[in-house]
Amino acid sequence: MVKYNAMTQEWLDAWKQKIANSKEYREIAKNWEGSVSMIVNPDPEKGIPEPIYLFTDYWHGDVRDFLICDKAKAESANFVMSADFARWKQVAKKEVDSTKALMQGKLKLKGDLTYVVRNIKTVNKVIDLLCEIETIWPDEA
Amino acid sequence: MEEEFIENRAASVPFAGILTDLLTANLTQRPEKRVVYDNMHGTVAIELVDIETAVTMVFAAGKLRIEEGIVGRPEIVIRTDSERVMDLNALRIVGGLPWYFDEAGRRVLNHLVSGRLKIEGLFTHPVLLTQLTKIMSVM
Repeated sequence: MVKYNAMTQEWLDAWKQKIANSKEYREIAKNWEGSVSMIVNPDPEKGIPEPIYLFTDYWHGDVRDFLICDKAKAESANFVMSADFARWKQVAKKEVDSTKALMQGKLKLKGDLTYVVRNIKTVNKVIDLLCEIETIWPDEA
Repeated sequence: MEEEFIENRAASVPFAGILTDLLTANLTQRPEKRVVYDNMHGTVAIELVDIETAVTMVFAAGKLRIEEGIVGRPEIVIRTDSERVMDLNALRIVGGLPWYFDEAGRRVLNHLVSGRLKIEGLFTHPVLLTQLTKIMSVM
């Protein structure tokens, strides 16, 4: 199976393709509209010298832009999530539940939380599909 | 909406911030929930057992104060895990009451039956619990 370097455009493309190919996602996410960005806080010891900004956009079961972007673009998303690299890695490896990380303040969310809770199945499905990608993590490479 | 209708005195507790954000959005977007909120009196604590976090919500006629930990003697104490607490927000309100006959409702009932969700005051303070469910529900 092809492996992708974490938090690169190729990795985002693979994730987007996974989502686009999922009939289950298309059904679950038919009401979701809006973009979600992920900010990876820098951690030089883990191979992340600068913040990384990822922008993903979803529309009624379809997927649109999945981009490595700049800070301004990331902050323009409907929902902005930020966390340390180690936390994102744990979420992507299913070692920690994203809701739990949110409750602990280890994952921060800006945006309408009521919308996220109403559509929690969509959020969980997107994360599940991310977990299926064979990922090379910078601190393991 | 006025700024001070929720006073979060537990700002250092991330869960308290989430509750504040969620309630602020819900009460701002849904006037019918604000009516319920304005008539609430009582104290409710929520403890997230797995992350050793608890907050107490003190409702007093259109005001809410959130305190860190379990403070005083709350009429209702909800104990569950951080991964399950959001399930309470997914309960639908039908005919003015929480609806337990759909997927979200059955999930909450399963948590109650299995002991993953414990509610002290479930039978002694049903009105306050129903009011709480109404204002917390995002559905």
